[in-house]
Amino acid sequence: MRQLFSFVLLSLVSLSSFFVSASAAAADYHEQLVLRPLPLSALLASFNFRSNTSLSEFEAHNFRFFPRSLGQILQHAGTQELHLRFSLGRWDSESWGARPWDGAREGGTGVELWAWLQAATDEEADHKWLTLTNALSGLFCASLNFIDGTRTTRPVMSFQPEGDHLNTTAVDTHLLYGVLPHEVVCTENLTPFLKLLPCKGKAGIATLLDGHKLFDASWQSMAIDVRPICPAGGECVLQIELTIDMVLDIDRSKRPRDNPIPRPPPGHELPCNTSKPYHSHDTCFPTDHQANQDWTLSQIFGRTMKGTCPLTDPTVPPVCLQVPNSRSVYHSDGVLEKKNLDRVSRCFEIKPDVNFEIVLPTPDDESAVLVKPETPLLYAERSFTGHGQERGGVQTILRNPSPDTEVEFIYMESLPWFMRVYLHTMSARLQGQSAKDDALIKEVYYRPAVDRARGTQLEVRMRVPPASTVFLTYDFEKSILRYTEYPPDANRGFDVAAAVITILSPAAYNLRTTSLLCSLPTPDFSMPYNVIIFTSTAIALAFGGMFNILVRRFVAADEGPEVGLAVLKKRIKERVGALVEKIKKDKGQKIPYEARNKSGKANDSGVETEVIKE
Amino acid sequence: MDGGKVTVGRTAALYAGAAVLRLAIFTLLPDLPDLLTGRVEVSTPVTSFKRCLFLYNHNVSPYDGGVYHQAPLFLLLFSLLPNALSYPIFTYLLYIAIDLLSAGALWKIADSGEAGSSALFSSPRRERRWSGFVIAAIFLFNPFTIATCLGRSTSVFTTCAILHAIAKAVSGAPFSAMVALSFASYLSMYPLLLLPPLLLLCFDRQRPERAKKSILSFAATHVPVVFGVLGLLFGMSYLITGSWEFLPSTYGVQLTLSDLTPNVGLWWYFFIEMFDSFRSFFLAVFWLHLSCYVGGLSVRIRRQPLVVLTLLLGIFAIFKPYPSISDTSLFLAMVPLYRHVFPLMRYSFVIAAVIMYASFLGPAFYYLWIYAGSGNANFFYAITLVWGLGLSLLVCDLMFAVLRDEWELERPEMAGKEIRQI
Repeated sequence: MRQLFSFVLLSLVSLSSFFVSASAAAADYHEQLVLRPLPLSALLASFNFRSNTSLSEFEAHNFRFFPRSLGQILQHAGTQELHLRFSLGRWDSESWGARPWDGAREGGTGVELWAWLQAATDEEADHKWLTLTNALSGLFCASLNFIDGTRTTRPVMSFQPEGDHLNTTAVDTHLLYGVLPHEVVCTENLTPFLKLLPCKGKAGIATLLDGHKLFDASWQSMAIDVRPICPAGGECVLQIELTIDMVLDIDRSKRPRDNPIPRPPPGHELPCNTSKPYHSHDTCFPTDHQANQDWTLSQIFGRTMKGTCPLTDPTVPPVCLQVPNSRSVYHSDGVLEKKNLDRVSRCFEIKPDVNFEIVLPTPDDESAVLVKPETPLLYAERSFTGHGQERGGVQTILRNPSPDTEVEFIYMESLPWFMRVYLHTMSARLQGQSAKDDALIKEVYYRPAVDRARGTQLEVRMRVPPASTVFLTYDFEKSILRYTEYPPDANRGFDVAAAVITILSPAAYNLRTTSLLCSLPTPDFSMPYNVIIFTSTAIALAFGGMFNILVRRFVAADEGPEVGLAVLKKRIKERVGALVEKIKKDKGQKIPYEARNKSGKANDSGVETEVIKE
Repeated sequence: MDGGKVTVGRTAALYAGAAVLRLAIFTLLPDLPDLLTGRVEVSTPVTSFKRCLFLYNHNVSPYDGGVYHQAPLFLLLFSLLPNALSYPIFTYLLYIAIDLLSAGALWKIADSGEAGSSALFSSPRRERRWSGFVIAAIFLFNPFTIATCLGRSTSVFTTCAILHAIAKAVSGAPFSAMVALSFASYLSMYPLLLLPPLLLLCFDRQRPERAKKSILSFAATHVPVVFGVLGLLFGMSYLITGSWEFLPSTYGVQLTLSDLTPNVGLWWYFFIEMFDSFRSFFLAVFWLHLSCYVGGLSVRIRRQPLVVLTLLLGIFAIFKPYPSISDTSLFLAMVPLYRHVFPLMRYSFVIAAVIMYASFLGPAFYYLWIYAGSGNANFFYAITLVWGLGLSLLVCDLMFAVLRDEWELERPEMAGKEIRQI
């Protein structure tokens, strides 16, 4: 009876809380998945989860949609705004076009973290930053605690707060930026990420997130953004936005699970571009732009979507697909398809308990398969120049594709301390010109590295004229480290973080270059003892030689005590003779045991003194 | 080669020849200076010209970074010169002038005859010596000196200051000698260890009209000069940079060896491979070892302070934290002053062979390690060991020859005979 009562009570409570949260959720939480097929049989999937909590509730430790674990860390570390990125792979902007979210939700390879901390002094900010990185390290199973002083910078021009900071002044808000390019993002980072979601990946679009598929992507970026938003006239809210963007290779996703090894298709199945002049029966220029555009949701993600999250705002459609409206798309029952007015996207409204599936058949009209990707404002590539392990150079190629608009941006690098940058070698030149053009660089902020304490920070505000390419180069020297400072795979090289490019005009846009691998000279790790011994021997030889010359007397060769083989022989003979004598003498004095016992202690000591005298 | 009359014409011809040779290399082979500037044998972290070019005018203090480890007055000097990148000729002329000044000082030292006959000792062999002309020529046309000048290593300033300190000391101007030594110490720190023998040299060569009888009172008047000038220089540096942070960045680096860039010395690889817990201990031991020679040599060879200075310069060229061939060229410039004891040296051939061997194989092995990848760090390390051993053999042999020369004054009949040490 008591059990029954408690069960009823429990279900009542949970039911009521469900209603309360459902009503509140209308404004406070929504999630959306946008699918956009890209050229070269790629598919961009953008997951976005966003929730708000009012600042007063947050400060009262009243967490509803805001994850408590993260909230407590933020409160403890005095964090006002936080941005955390886990990224892998490379966004191929030449074929995929502009980045999702205008690049605002992505990071460089590895882990990136930047935050605005409230602190009175720089030291306090550093201390809070240490607290924050260590706590986040535990929360996300990432090596964020390795973001130490050498990997932390304080950007001056690059990052601007996304939120509204009302009651704070610029003095007590510190922006710190840390980056770990070596970190390998993997499933252990996804699991804690999903736990931050209100539906924990059990319902809604988060059910599609599977580590096997996410980390098999050509490019993926997981982002967490926490920022305060103060709408005009309303109460300030703290917004948390979790974003996962990934570019999946449709070809690879459709590969059968039991036979995942890729094999080249037979010749007659190759789609060839027949418009090429050299096309014939034995030459083929592949046309894979239109290939493999038929797919289903379960092929791509390995499963179907399990209903919708009951907490989500029902007015926001959970799944949208960006293909031309002329393309036919099949979907499962209980789903309402809505084509948008822009003619290139459609959204699906899904009932809470429906298994959602969409099927895109092979398109009939080859010309209307894809939405043409937007051209990005800027293309950037960065690479090392030079050879050898002593010095090198960095070259960044920045191309402005627009025929009439000039692009102005901030180029930021945070380099490890063991790359000694020579700023006087930095130059920017236009393609086709050999002389450097000082007008391209407008402003430079440079903070040099300090060995073992701080990395180099370089921020350059520059511009690229319309339809032109700019080469930004500088030289650096590689330093040699103590042998304990090398990682176990020292000859692999050291990762250098991606350069962050923040475009100021004509529109806000972010992009990052790829990270680089810098190989340093290495000592021989196998012989610390040998080196210590050899060097010490060389020093001892020099010191001993000088000491000998300084303290010994000069004599003629025939003066002074003799040395030589004959003398040595004679001396050894003398010594041996004396020893034999002594032993004989000892034997002669040997007294029987009883007799010695009788003679007592006095006699004993007498024998001892005699021996000593000898 | 016998110290014959040196006319003004010959002097001018020597200096002009040295200057023209350097200028010709600068202008005909414009890539060579930059190549030499980047060589680890020529440029160390504390003398590199490339690190000097660091932009002083970027509103960044050069000491708030890990690249620049040189005295602040260099910054002033190079900012007074026209831009070294667009008008390199002015820098070239400055370095050539410094080399010629050093040669002039060396000439004075040689002509004073101090090497052969000091106040307390006159060598029986002193007549066999080279003139100042020859010694200056050996310095100016030494490939190591030329390479240092072309590489624009800032150690040429230290070399010049040390040579002037010695030249002033032998010409009986102790105050100027102390000022020159302060400059050398300010630029490179290690020349401060030359103070005791230099004081002895000044004491021995005082002008009779105002000579002090006691060495202690002499030291008491002249040591404060060194520290006063050093204090003045530090004060000027403070005014230039606006903070004291140049001290740890300039002298602290030499004391703690935080920059482990390879060089021809013995420290870098030892401290790369050293276990972290023993690092400070061995740093102390290495510095103690470097400074322990000063007292011993000054006492044992009291009668010839110039010999002590020469030997110490040799020891520093081997055992200081960031040695380069510039230090060797200074030592090799002083060695010919002892032409009269050359016959007493025992291993001249071995020394010459070892130094040549290391000079040719060093760059080759460095290339194999850094660029070709077919060798490892041990290749270059082994060559620096050979180089250090060869130079220490030269120091030992010179020491032996000088001491035997002293001994033969007591035992003139032993000249040319077999001797041994007990």
